[in-house]
Amino acid sequence: MAKDIQISASESKFILEALRQNYRLDGRSFDQFRNVDISFGKEYGDVTVVMGGTKVQCRISSSITHPYEDRPFEGLFLISTESSPMAGPQFENGNNTGDEEVLCARIIEKAVRRSGALDIEGLCIVAGSKCWAIRADVHFLDCDGGFIDASCIAVMTALLHYKKPDITVLGDRITVHPVDEREPVSLGILHIPICVTFSFFNPQDTEENIKGDSNAEIAIIDATLREELLRDGTLTVTLNKNREVVQVSKAGGLPMDALSLMENCHKAYTIAEKTTDQILEELKKDEKKRNKYAEILSSENNRES
Amino acid sequence: MSTIILPGDDIHVFEDRQISLGPGMYCNPATEEIEAVNAGVEVISETKKGQAVYVDYDCKRYVPSVGDLVIGIIVGQYSDNYKVSLSNFSSSVSLSYMAFPNATKKNKPTLKVGDLVYARVRFAEKELESEIECVDSTTGQDGGFGLLDGGMLAEIKLAYARSLMFDEKFPLLPLLAKFVQFEVAIGINGIIWIKCEEVKHTLACYRSILECQKVPTSSYKAIVKENFGKIVNTVEDDNQ
Amino acid sequence: MSRLEIYSPEGLRLDGRRWNELRRFECSINTHAHAADGSSYLEQGNNKIITLVKGPQEPSNKSQVDTAKALLRVTVNLTKFSKSERSKSSHKNERRVLEMQTALVRTFNRNLMLHIYPRTLIDIEIHVLQQDGGIMGSLINGITLALIDAGIAMYDYISGVSVGLYDETPLLDTNTLEENAMSTVTLGVVGKSEKLSLLLVEDKIPLDRLESVLAIGIAGSHRIRDLMDKELRRRAEKRVASALAR
Repeated sequence: MAKDIQISASESKFILEALRQNYRLDGRSFDQFRNVDISFGKEYGDVTVVMGGTKVQCRISSSITHPYEDRPFEGLFLISTESSPMAGPQFENGNNTGDEEVLCARIIEKAVRRSGALDIEGLCIVAGSKCWAIRADVHFLDCDGGFIDASCIAVMTALLHYKKPDITVLGDRITVHPVDEREPVSLGILHIPICVTFSFFNPQDTEENIKGDSNAEIAIIDATLREELLRDGTLTVTLNKNREVVQVSKAGGLPMDALSLMENCHKAYTIAEKTTDQILEELKKDEKKRNKYAEILSSENNRES
Repeated sequence: MSTIILPGDDIHVFEDRQISLGPGMYCNPATEEIEAVNAGVEVISETKKGQAVYVDYDCKRYVPSVGDLVIGIIVGQYSDNYKVSLSNFSSSVSLSYMAFPNATKKNKPTLKVGDLVYARVRFAEKELESEIECVDSTTGQDGGFGLLDGGMLAEIKLAYARSLMFDEKFPLLPLLAKFVQFEVAIGINGIIWIKCEEVKHTLACYRSILECQKVPTSSYKAIVKENFGKIVNTVEDDNQ
Repeated sequence: MSRLEIYSPEGLRLDGRRWNELRRFECSINTHAHAADGSSYLEQGNNKIITLVKGPQEPSNKSQVDTAKALLRVTVNLTKFSKSERSKSSHKNERRVLEMQTALVRTFNRNLMLHIYPRTLIDIEIHVLQQDGGIMGSLINGITLALIDAGIAMYDYISGVSVGLYDETPLLDTNTLEENAMSTVTLGVVGKSEKLSLLLVEDKIPLDRLESVLAIGIAGSHRIRDLMDKELRRRAEKRVASALAR
């Protein structure tokens, strides 16, 4: 991804030596995820996620369209992740065929769309002729590593936050009620997948990695840009709170022992659990803020019994 | 006196004396009026002939100018020169094999791609590729330039690099020196290289340098102390 | 949903295999001796794959030259007739194919001694004539064989296989029907070790079942490694014999 960032030999040697001595540049421990900061825009489905120096925004939009002919009972769901020079000078405009870009887009696609996180059958309005099309646009605003993790959180939070306008179906006529006329409805979310990316470093030579039994490879969670540029291999695990592995991608790179990979999956689970709780918490807070007049407008009143 | 000056502002000098213009100043050829073209602090100093005025402004991107001491990364090796990168996403500069102390046609330097060099800008024209040198060309002697071995580098803002380099009262380096012995090289192109005996000390210096960039000088002491404290503590944790 | 009985109570699968049995595995090397520097033809069940390795050769594009090591390039051609229904698109530049290519390049980047071939390009071309599930594993096996035939230095074999999870039973080396009915895991194992170079999970699997799936996958990969090894040694002995006869 980042082609033109030059890293000197001294720097890479130093970062690896520091890792060998159990230090990371930013002072985190190896299994520490960066703090996730989630903020909501004015509209429903507008979410910005900040993790350290990485900033990702996701916006959900919906429209009514024809379903695919071979799937008359399903709505459409599209995730668009296009990087632009906005995130950093290393990204080219309109060129999304780079290795990293393709992998990033595919992993998010697999984690969210293929895993059925969004109930697409619930998007059907009239079978075979009309359905909702949900579109998630992911924008990378600032880059300091961990795009996959941040985008996944952003997309899932935005889907949970989004409300589409209410509709009434009368025969072939569909009425779409504006948001200020009737309370909009949430999307059906079946589970919340969370991606956790591990980066592997090889402290010894290649021979030792392939032939030796020492298994001294270093695995760190949520690498920053510098660590990403120097890493020897990566593993992205996607899980949800129900202890289901949704997707695992270790596309080559440093060969790793199967047992240590399993260990990483278990570490990822604790992080996924924590992040899911945080997302739900933030959503609840936002909901409360939006509905601050609900109590006054409601006809319910406290009754003394 | 320090005044904040913005592009288009008039400068605060006596019109009747001779004025030399430095960076960030522009003389409109039509009206012969002097205006600032960069935002920063206006600096006016007395010279033998009259006054010199320039804007001390901060930016991230380095543009080479003659005489600057810089740190570069070697990115390419050719038949008679190295290609050196002074900042990411900028055009590279060249470092001739002859620009080293005691260089001859046969005695070639032994730097490799990826090495760091401390050098001086010898030639800078905006239309042509800039050149740097690893030798003090006025004397032909070794001027303390050359390979920076080991250590760690940090990318910093240009104004911060200038403060570290030229401001003798700037408190950061003396503060660090209280905790640990180190070697340091500062490049005006916004790169600082630091090396201590031990990795953990280099790391503490690295973090302190980056964190101090964002805060006023008064809080430097606390930051440096905290960073060194953290490093020592983690080591003790490991031993337990 | 599926009317097929993926795994019968008697412990038999659709094609009559047990849970831990591989499909028929046949391979040969040096099949395209004039077209490429190394080649292999692999049949794993109904997967039929031709792999051609060209190189180390001079890169056609000067900007690709890496002065430190060889550049590896993998092109996967999923032919239009490779499935029972002819596909309209050529699958070229599909994200799925691009991802497969990147994953293969990264898998073999670490395992080949690329640093002894600086300034060169190693071009791997794969033609999938027929596909029937677990394609990624078969691609890895095909590449390993072709690279050995091309005489490119490598640390060890990499063998790949896919494992499905049906309810609680892991099923080794899945075919298309099985792959569509359940979630599968693809592994790429280095030699006889338990080190995984490639690990892909594309559908939901309970976290606590993953370990047993990996275990059977590693065992299956080792078996495939042995099968490939046997064929390679047979070929080598034949060549030695014909050389001695001269």
